[in-house]
Amino acid sequence: MSATTKSVRKLIASTSAIALVAAVLTVGSATTANAAPTTGGTLYMLTHADQWEHPDPQRLYVGRDIAFFNTYVYRNLVSYKPATGPNGATLIGDLATNTGVPSNNAKTWKFTLRAGITWEDGSAITCEDVKYGISRTYAQDVLTDGPTYAISMLDVPTLDDGSSAYKGPYKKTGQALFDKAITCSGNTVTFKLSRTVADFNYAMTYPAFSPIKKLKDTGDKYDLRPFASGPYKIDKNVIGDEMHLIRNTNWKKASDPIRTPYPDDIVVQFGLAEELRDQLILSDQVPNAVNLDALLPTNNKTFFADATKADQRMNVNDPYVRYYAMNLSATHMDCLEVRKAFFFALNTQALIDLAGGSVFYGAPGDSIMKPNLGPDYAPTTGNIHESFWSINGNPTKAKEFLDAAKTKCPAAYTRATSTGITMDLPNTATNQKGSVLIEDAMKAAGIVIKFNFIPSGVYYATVKDVTKQNDISSVGWGPDWANASTVIPELFIKGGGGNYTQTWNDPAYAAFKVKSDKASAETNRAKQIKMWQELGQTIMDNYWIGRPVFTKTQLVWGSKVAGVGFWDPQGTFLFPALYVKN
Amino acid sequence: MLKYISRRLSYTIFILILISLVVFLIFALLPADPAALTCGKTCNPQVIEANRHRLGLDVSVWQQWWRFIVGLFQGRTYGEAEALIKCPAPAFGYSFNRHECVTKIIADAFPITLSLAIGAFIMWLSIGISLGVLAARFKGKFVDRASTVFVLIGTSLPTFISGILILLFVVIKFGLVNPLDLGNWANPFTDPLGWLKTFFFPCLTLAFAYAASYTRFTRSNILETSTEDYIRTARAKGLSEKVVLRKHTLRAALAPIVTIAGLDFAGLLGGAIITEGIYNLAGLGRLSIRAVLVDYDLPIILATTLFAATFVVVMNLIVDILYAFIDPRVRVG
Repeated sequence: MSATTKSVRKLIASTSAIALVAAVLTVGSATTANAAPTTGGTLYMLTHADQWEHPDPQRLYVGRDIAFFNTYVYRNLVSYKPATGPNGATLIGDLATNTGVPSNNAKTWKFTLRAGITWEDGSAITCEDVKYGISRTYAQDVLTDGPTYAISMLDVPTLDDGSSAYKGPYKKTGQALFDKAITCSGNTVTFKLSRTVADFNYAMTYPAFSPIKKLKDTGDKYDLRPFASGPYKIDKNVIGDEMHLIRNTNWKKASDPIRTPYPDDIVVQFGLAEELRDQLILSDQVPNAVNLDALLPTNNKTFFADATKADQRMNVNDPYVRYYAMNLSATHMDCLEVRKAFFFALNTQALIDLAGGSVFYGAPGDSIMKPNLGPDYAPTTGNIHESFWSINGNPTKAKEFLDAAKTKCPAAYTRATSTGITMDLPNTATNQKGSVLIEDAMKAAGIVIKFNFIPSGVYYATVKDVTKQNDISSVGWGPDWANASTVIPELFIKGGGGNYTQTWNDPAYAAFKVKSDKASAETNRAKQIKMWQELGQTIMDNYWIGRPVFTKTQLVWGSKVAGVGFWDPQGTFLFPALYVKN
Repeated sequence: MLKYISRRLSYTIFILILISLVVFLIFALLPADPAALTCGKTCNPQVIEANRHRLGLDVSVWQQWWRFIVGLFQGRTYGEAEALIKCPAPAFGYSFNRHECVTKIIADAFPITLSLAIGAFIMWLSIGISLGVLAARFKGKFVDRASTVFVLIGTSLPTFISGILILLFVVIKFGLVNPLDLGNWANPFTDPLGWLKTFFFPCLTLAFAYAASYTRFTRSNILETSTEDYIRTARAKGLSEKVVLRKHTLRAALAPIVTIAGLDFAGLLGGAIITEGIYNLAGLGRLSIRAVLVDYDLPIILATTLFAATFVVVMNLIVDILYAFIDPRVRVG
């Protein structure tokens, strides 16, 4: 999914992936020195945002927010182990006693609910609650933004227009079809899938698969006040003001192998002006607070340069790859030589420096996947490994590619050198400045480039619209879990959740799709890894993307917060371990 | 007079209807598709069409506008079956970003903006007029020169700078307000101290820039009025300078200031975007700017635009009526 504030990515690791992740993931400290955790106090969280993306579990698709709500407010059938490093990617039965039992070539999965699991009103969480919760994903016209794995994986028929025959629990159209896909037998919930999904249990870590008590469902408004099954419940949630969590007295530690609530209560302070938020952290005025956002670049540098703050910060590789998606449809970037010219003309160093430098922003990448993903990533050949690639741009080589385009695809050549290529960018101050750097680099190579600045809030909706996307769009993505099945089909197969390249117009697409489909259905992991790696190379060989950057993230917190670590699968704080020092 | 007021009232209603239509058309002509915007990241054409129906956008712009007008009087519903959402009259729409009827959202935000505007209004009038009068009274003296400096600083420092400076180097540095209490709403009638704690500095920030221009305006108006014949006559009659100033000069000099103050106040009621943003006040200004820049929340943008326009139009009406009382020639015109 898109790597902005609206994105999420999940990284988990197979056993072999874990070692690799451990080797490459941590740039700075991934955890702070821990004494024995203490209970009590109020933990503050500061953010410029007016609200969480979506507290409603079926609508939640942002890694940080998933980590927060899964830790404090609600529980899934399966969750990640609350640990830093590779261990944090280990699955643990949460509401379920196990991490799922597959059968029928992984087309059927069974989970058994624990005894003693309850809602915040003390009533038991049942299999029917799980089923009802998942059914809400199908109400796509009411509950927007959530992941649609349930729709794509469960064995519910689709209509001719490609939509599900089941329309969710509000309209109830096709209810019988859904009832066959998920069945309850006592405390056991059985999922029938439409295809083999060997890593279905990883999808279960998403709140989209968590239970909902039907009587408490308020449709769209459930986003304001989800009913708790975790150790805290929502006492107050005012958009633009604050969310206040207090202890859920009906939560029982005996039923929960994952969570140990430390703070008495948690306050999320919304809507802080960015400068104010940063000053509160810089001056440690709220020592029992963590910063949920990134600091402003100048304040970030100040904070990381201050030796006294050494144990209040972390600089780590995040799960995302940011890149320029080439619109491969006719009359856009349909010429390989023009794409190459763009690729080699870019001054990557200047753009990275603008965004915070290699220390804080990231480094040039050679794939749509990054090492965090595990074995599905392999270094590619060509692109940034070409001898003529320069991090500062190589206008001479770019001109050579343009010359080649002149004969191979004259129409595209004319567009690139005369009428101009148009690039979509979110309308931010950084992008406004970055556009000047891009324009300078392109001008040196003889490419004419124009920019279409789109309001951030509607950026992804706009560029995903094939009729509105321009020639190149700046986007980002991270895997949902450590398998390229959550990257390559999502980004490069028609109908994928983040296809910003319109790949289906490219001559190489047909063969690419065949191979991608085969890799998705492959249950032999070693074979699958090889196929994903080859597909990763194909993407780069065809220059379907430009300037991939493997990005980093910085986390900062107050002096009275302890137990801080980085939760790899969620790409954010290890919330379950946070506590306030006495 | 009654005829004049009713005529102006009819004009005002007509203008408001026209504004609502224009605003509606502007949003209808925007390239962004609201149905796609509420569709989320995992969108497809079927969901977009379902959203279009749910949002009531599957009819012509004229029908949408008419539904909007009717909704103001009768209320509206969105969605269907068990997911039906009802917004009672006056319904300005439903925000799918904030999961609330827009009328409720505006009703929650308005008291914050109103109290900020009133507080700032009182401050800038008090400071601006007093300083302006003093500067005029002691023209060329220290007070006048000091006021010039104040005016220069006030008018040249944008609010986003003065606000940040006051917040970081006064409020936060000296611990005058717990930073986490910033933005906390307190009812000024039931908790005046709580209100003062939250709103004093935002009001001061907002008043700072306005007070500077009002100082200048007051000073020049007084000086200009002082050269009028009737002032000279008053002085010739032997009235003291204080009496001349209070009874003759000020009365004439302040009349246009009151008019401008009314319009400035009306403008602020639409939201003090920067000040509300800096001090974390969840008023109409911050609501509007977030709706435009972050959420692209069209029902909120539409409603706040209409609200802001309504304040200005209504304040204009009040000013016109007041003028009609003051100057009979206006009624004739």
